[in-house]
Amino acid sequence: MEDILVVENVTKRFGGLVANNKVSFSMRRGEILGLIGPNGAGKTTLFNVITGVYRPDEGRVIFKGEDITGKPPHVITRKGIAKTHQIVKPFNDMTVLENAMVGALFGKRARQITIGEAKEIAYQSLELVGLAEKSEEFAVKLTLRQKKMLELARALSAEPELLLLDEVLAGLNPKEIEEALEIIKKVKEERDLSIIMIEHVMHAVMNIADRIVVLHFGWKIAEGTPEEVANNPEVITAYLGDPRYALRFVKRKGGEEDGSS
Amino acid sequence: MAGKESTLSHYLRSPTLLIIVFVILGMLVARIMGMSTLDTLMTIMYFMGIALSLNIIMGFAGYVSFGHAVFLGLGGYAYVLLVYFIKPLADLQSLGFGLGAFLVAVLAGLFAAAIAASVGAAVLRLRGAFFAIATIGLDFTALYLMKAIVPELNPEQFFGAQIILPADKIVEKDVVFNAMFLTLIILLAVNYYIRKSPFGVGLTAIKEDEDAAEVLGVPTTMFKIIAFTLAGFFTGMVGALFSLNGGGVDETLFNLGHSIDMIVMIVIGGLGTVLGPIVGSLIYFELYDLLLVHYPGVNLIILGIIVAIVVLFFPEGLIGLLRKYKVKGVRLRDLLE
Repeated sequence: MEDILVVENVTKRFGGLVANNKVSFSMRRGEILGLIGPNGAGKTTLFNVITGVYRPDEGRVIFKGEDITGKPPHVITRKGIAKTHQIVKPFNDMTVLENAMVGALFGKRARQITIGEAKEIAYQSLELVGLAEKSEEFAVKLTLRQKKMLELARALSAEPELLLLDEVLAGLNPKEIEEALEIIKKVKEERDLSIIMIEHVMHAVMNIADRIVVLHFGWKIAEGTPEEVANNPEVITAYLGDPRYALRFVKRKGGEEDGSS
Repeated sequence: MAGKESTLSHYLRSPTLLIIVFVILGMLVARIMGMSTLDTLMTIMYFMGIALSLNIIMGFAGYVSFGHAVFLGLGGYAYVLLVYFIKPLADLQSLGFGLGAFLVAVLAGLFAAAIAASVGAAVLRLRGAFFAIATIGLDFTALYLMKAIVPELNPEQFFGAQIILPADKIVEKDVVFNAMFLTLIILLAVNYYIRKSPFGVGLTAIKEDEDAAEVLGVPTTMFKIIAFTLAGFFTGMVGALFSLNGGGVDETLFNLGHSIDMIVMIVIGGLGTVLGPIVGSLIYFELYDLLLVHYPGVNLIILGIIVAIVVLFFPEGLIGLLRKYKVKGVRLRDLLE
């Protein structure tokens, strides 16, 4: 199967800080790729490089065979990449439906659809994430879970082929996480999407992802299936520090193994 | 969701459009019946015109152009200099019951728009207070340029930056009225169109969260420059016809007071709507007049206090306030745009 996205040797520096250091990976169409790593590993920076918010200092981003490195975000969105924000950014003074309409009007089919058509696309996205009955509410009134789902609906309204989810599960309780995961699976099937998700909720990402890429201090330290990555000593070190110390810590705590933080 | 209905009946059911038509007809009737003096109507149209012009960048996109009087001044000077030095344009003014003056005002507006477009790319990178300060800087730069350049153009006739048009280069006031009236109708139409179009949705998204808008596909830089250029163009046209009406131009057209007038009218009426600047300018005009008649001397102090109260307690303005309510189950939000 063709690669929908290829990230080649991407380096992004902020002054002396190297947020991404020669990161390379590729993903196939239809895949769910988990992007994990401790805080400050450079995950969100990598998303921002892919969506054009930052221009990388080195390296290339190739989407569907086309080099999109350094193109402005709105151009990349129209090519078919949509992103949700880690810190939700709803348009507070607009209704939920109007929020999603922005996605439709300026997404894949920008300038080809009318306001009326955008409304319908937006409404379908809201139905898909379970926000349809809130469509006339103001976005500012939504709960955090609903705002996260609005981010998702807004991104879906752009009709992307590649969806980047930046911690959509963070801040949700276990039941809400289950619901959100179901929605993501459903959305992926119905819209035939490829998805990259940054996630700290380990059991969730280990369950849903086909493959996982691990970043640490800007470097890619591992890549593989969830099992491979979970047993990779470098990954364990990155998350827990010295493995021997980690082992002792686990023993003392009586074997609590929940990786989520 | 989308039932078939004719566009005409759709528009007839839009109270916003009805109010706009009512305002236009009202002015026409007042003019024909002689209910108001020409000067009063001109002043109302001037206020409404500058409020609707600034509304395009400030109301829709949320960028407070604090030095917007710069375009008033540029339009005014462009117009007066054009008819002063180019005879065919001076003759054109009186043709077609105001259509000629309107066309020369379009030229003046294009000059203001060209300046707006060329500085827009730079100043629109700034946000909030920094953008406001940059536009004030622009205003002062243009003012001092005019003060330096204008006296050189015709040293025998021009004293300082003031230009008084000779009698053969001005037109009857009712001709100016027609040109201003036409400009205002176009401004109302442009505001309404923007409000209803994807462009307007994009501008509103920029106002709410510019970074999110860009990532969602809104070409933010281009949209901001277009909005700023349109705002400059129409302010320039109004400044041009305002100057023609006064028979000349001087540097007071660049006064920050004009900028504040525009901003206050939009804030009183409500940001981000078409009706806001219309209602705001009418209220502001009445208030201004009333206070001047009844409390001369302290009128501006009282006006200032009223504005402060509005900003503190009703920052969404009159239309914004009304839009929060429902009447008989119908949300006013859907009716007042």
